[in-house]
Amino acid sequence: MTMRNWIQIFALLMPGLGLILVLIGSVVYIAIAQSFGYYALLGESAFSTEFWSEVFSRKIFSRAVRYSIYIGFWSAVLSVALAYPLAIWLRKPFPGSIGLGALLKAPLLVHGLVAAFLYINVISYNGLLNQTMQGIGIWAEPRRLQNDSNAFGVLLLQVWKNMPFALLVLTGSVQGISDDVLDAARDLGAGPWARFRKIIAPLTMSGMQAAMVIIFIGALADFTFQTTVGPTNRQSMAQLMVSFKSRGDWHSAAVVGVSLMIIALLGSALLALLTRTVMRGSPR
Amino acid sequence: MAAIGIRNLSKSFDGFQALSKFSLDVQQGEFLTLLGPSGCGKTTLLKIISGFLEPSTGSISIGGEDITRVPPENRDTALCFQSYALFPHLNVLQNLEFGLKQKRVSRDQRDARVSEVAAKLGLETQLSKLPNQLSGGQQQRVSLGRALVMRPSVILFDEPLSNLDAKLRDQVRVEIRRIQQDYSLTAIYVTHDQSEALAMSDRIVVLNDGKIVQVDTPEQLYAQPKTRFVADFIGGANLITGRVCSQTKENLTSVETLMGQIQTSHRINKSSENVELCWRPERAQIGKGPYCGTIVHRAFQGQFTDLILEENDMIFRIQTNNDRFRVGEVITFSILPDDVVVLEADG
Ligand SMILES: Nc1ncnc2c1ncn2[C@@H]1O[C@H](COP(=O)(O)OP(=O)(O)OP(=O)(O)O)[C@@H](O)[C@H]1O
Ligand SMILES: [Mg+2]
Repeated sequence: MTMRNWIQIFALLMPGLGLILVLIGSVVYIAIAQSFGYYALLGESAFSTEFWSEVFSRKIFSRAVRYSIYIGFWSAVLSVALAYPLAIWLRKPFPGSIGLGALLKAPLLVHGLVAAFLYINVISYNGLLNQTMQGIGIWAEPRRLQNDSNAFGVLLLQVWKNMPFALLVLTGSVQGISDDVLDAARDLGAGPWARFRKIIAPLTMSGMQAAMVIIFIGALADFTFQTTVGPTNRQSMAQLMVSFKSRGDWHSAAVVGVSLMIIALLGSALLALLTRTVMRGSPR
Repeated sequence: MAAIGIRNLSKSFDGFQALSKFSLDVQQGEFLTLLGPSGCGKTTLLKIISGFLEPSTGSISIGGEDITRVPPENRDTALCFQSYALFPHLNVLQNLEFGLKQKRVSRDQRDARVSEVAAKLGLETQLSKLPNQLSGGQQQRVSLGRALVMRPSVILFDEPLSNLDAKLRDQVRVEIRRIQQDYSLTAIYVTHDQSEALAMSDRIVVLNDGKIVQVDTPEQLYAQPKTRFVADFIGGANLITGRVCSQTKENLTSVETLMGQIQTSHRINKSSENVELCWRPERAQIGKGPYCGTIVHRAFQGQFTDLILEENDMIFRIQTNNDRFRVGEVITFSILPDDVVVLEADG
């Protein structure tokens, strides 16, 4: 390519790529710089690893990391585990399948915070669930369902919110498999399980990876669900970051933020690898 | 005992009758071709035999055993898909051995069969490629090979050669036939290419609108088409209607047509007045004769020349080895009574 071509391509890419690079780049740069003591809002800016060692030595941080990974991992796995059979089931149109698909994707239109409030209303001490269970005589008296220490509420809301997204992605990849290809496998003696393992799974692997990774990253950094329905004795990384910030400790908040990015990156890679191992089917 | 027995098979899709009252026996080791225009139900029949579609009524047996309700994966049939249907994530070798692995054929057997078929189909150098790295013709051969390695009791081909160039088509045609004969596979072959059907088949089934029009050997089908549809579909015969005038001696019948009086040695069974006749373009004997026409179109085809003649607002086609005729010339010709076939009414 000539110099002219290069300049042309560069000029064409500039508006989009430039903006992205400037926005992402500056955020990442500021976060990293701040975690090492630069850009201090109060006091002196100077290089220091003190914030890293300080935050890393705190129990609250390692607990938040474990908790966020727990939420991220299970949200991704459960959402995909629910969406996958649905996507396969909805692969071939049948009467009502379009309406059903639309209904399943409806949560994409409801904001998470609204859902969280609804959820609290349902499970609260005087909520719908308690009243119903008492009404039909299964529970003698109302139970305390909020603030469960395994964060099932958060997981439930994450799955409710992300399953439709996983369904969207997986429907696309499942529908990309032609009927003839599946029929050919069947004709060559492959039963339902073999067809799934040798044809459907490998051909939908990239959709699966995409869904897992995107849901994982989103749920890893969860703030909304955690603050509304999460257990009060736990903190997610996002929550921890905000609490540092609100105390004016921007450097520690930056350390948490950078850690969040690193975990998102490494976790995604691991998840993608895991998905691949599970989905690849017969050894090549 | 017939290898395949089809009894009274019908298939309708939401009221649309794709096949009706279809009955047919295919012999062990026979190469049977289904020939018919697009949409006449050829693929539908193959899908019913391989089990992907359930017939609305009727039954199918293979080797005497009723398999109408057996799922495709448990039928000893292999279907070569019109759309190839290769597994996009598997390379050629893996595509070829897929079925053998499913059937738990031993590794040695598998390797032997795959390399034999790959060699016959010229795929040895392509084994590690993915389907999207192959040309259309190569993909078609992989799809063919994937079915052939199975050596099933019944092998079904859905227009397997439609995407090959003329030379490769002739070559693969011979290979299919050879493999089929070597392993004495019972084959049902779908095509809408009449020359392919004539060249390859033991018998041809001509289909139209989901019904059998005629079942015969290629020679018989060509020489004795039963209906107007068959005569026209195979070899593009000249068709003409006329009124029976007289039964002359030597079993000849004279028919009065727009071309003039035509004599046929074929029997006219009904006492009907009007009959439909057909004669093959290459049977016209140019020179002296009772019929004539003006050449309105000429197409040189290599080994012969197609001439379209017009006379009395009628168009007919004749073929000749002589390439010197030109548009505008008037030629006279004759047809032997043996070459004039009497057709039954369609339907
Ligand atoms: N699943 C289906 N639903 C409704 N109609 C169908 C279905 N499959 C086939 N048909 C109809 O049945 C008829 C026969 O179709 P088929 O595919 O058997 O034709 P074909 O002889 O194989 O044609 P071609 O030579 O074009 O492949 C067609 O009119 C088609 O529209
Ligand atoms: Mg077809």
